[in-house]
Amino acid sequence: MAGGDSSALADLYDRHARAIYSLALRILADAAEAEDVVQDVFTQAWRQATRYDAARAPVAGWLMIMARARSLDRLRRRRARISTTEMDPAMPHPRDPEIDQETLAITREQAERLRGAIGVLPDVHRTAIELAYYEGLSQTDIAARLQQPLGTVKTRIRTGLLKLRDVLSGRVQS
Amino acid sequence: MTHDELRELTGGYALGALGEQERRAFEAHLATCVECAREVGEFATVANGLALAVPQVDPPAALRARVLNAVLSEESARVDPMPFPQPPVRVRPSALPVWLATAAALAAVALGLYSLNLRERISRLEEDLRLANARAAGVERELQVARAAVPRTSNARQIATVLDAPDVRTIDLLGQKNAPAATGRVYWSPTRGLVFTASNLPAPSVGRQYQLWVIPLGGSPVSAGMLDLEGGGLTMALVDSTIASRVGTVAVTLEPAGGVPQPTSDPVLAGTW
Repeated sequence: MAGGDSSALADLYDRHARAIYSLALRILADAAEAEDVVQDVFTQAWRQATRYDAARAPVAGWLMIMARARSLDRLRRRRARISTTEMDPAMPHPRDPEIDQETLAITREQAERLRGAIGVLPDVHRTAIELAYYEGLSQTDIAARLQQPLGTVKTRIRTGLLKLRDVLSGRVQS
Repeated sequence: MTHDELRELTGGYALGALGEQERRAFEAHLATCVECAREVGEFATVANGLALAVPQVDPPAALRARVLNAVLSEESARVDPMPFPQPPVRVRPSALPVWLATAAALAAVALGLYSLNLRERISRLEEDLRLANARAAGVERELQVARAAVPRTSNARQIATVLDAPDVRTIDLLGQKNAPAATGRVYWSPTRGLVFTASNLPAPSVGRQYQLWVIPLGGSPVSAGMLDLEGGGLTMALVDSTIASRVGTVAVTLEPAGGVPQPTSDPVLAGTW
């Protein structure tokens, strides 16, 4: 990718556009906006391409984190337009290129396993995690939305993630 | 907050769902707590999995041309990026006990999670800068670690040449079932050669020796030499670019002392580029 020639860009698109589009569609539930996210992500990636050496780090994790951040930006702008109340400036997803390299690389097979595991999480755990990850809500927002105490929401998110972690690391089967 | 209360925040932190005050309190805690830092690191991996765990949908075919054209037209219009800043000076890894260095690294990683996004919301340009910094610092740290491991031999200059190559990349090697604790790393430059390091390799029985193999994509293994172990199952090797110009997989097998033309046993350590 470094060097930024057009065939490398096309290659990058062919490998990752589907995953980016799918995540954006999940978050935004709007095909036109999801397409815009794909364009945003590749524009941003390309802007950094000359400095980000894909040979050193798998680029997939980096692209997906940008995809989530750009999607949540749009989701929050949309909410701000339809809401008269001030939005909680919840954080977009964290990213760090060193994490991408060392920790965030997960295989297709692991993603598949995780998908199965999410499906069998208890509803209360899954809902809390999904509201945080795919809707960008803070734990406080989630507590209000679900009408549950904040402490309960914190515990549900952590417990759910611990279960998913165990599935991902192969400690337990989903 | 007690430790148990703080630990309840690992999940929210990894998903970016803490309020500002909690986030600050938790980040202060992370700097000193290896347990929470490790958990945040694991959850960051799960979060990345969540990105891929959604139903997969093909984007419209027309989007491809639209995106490629838009990106490339912007590319041609943009000005040159600012020059690289020097990477910040980091604590030398050797100055810390291993567990503490690990804790510090994990905490640094965890602490880095939010700051980047705050900047992203302020200015994309600033994010560019931090990404470049983080990458440069990460590479610099790897080089420091690798250089510290290099004995002062006549190979040192050649090893440094590989580590400093503009096209250097890393391949992590994992211990296989007959040596699960073994780990290895390869620094590979297609133009300058390959530096191999490994640790925790079990001592070979009498008359046996580890042999290093470079396996090009779709090709047969090429011997890259015999490996002698130091204490701690440590070993390293330097491989000439004539052998290492095309690398698919790097592997280590246990063979009769002196080596064999082709591997005769399963790898004890292997990694694929």
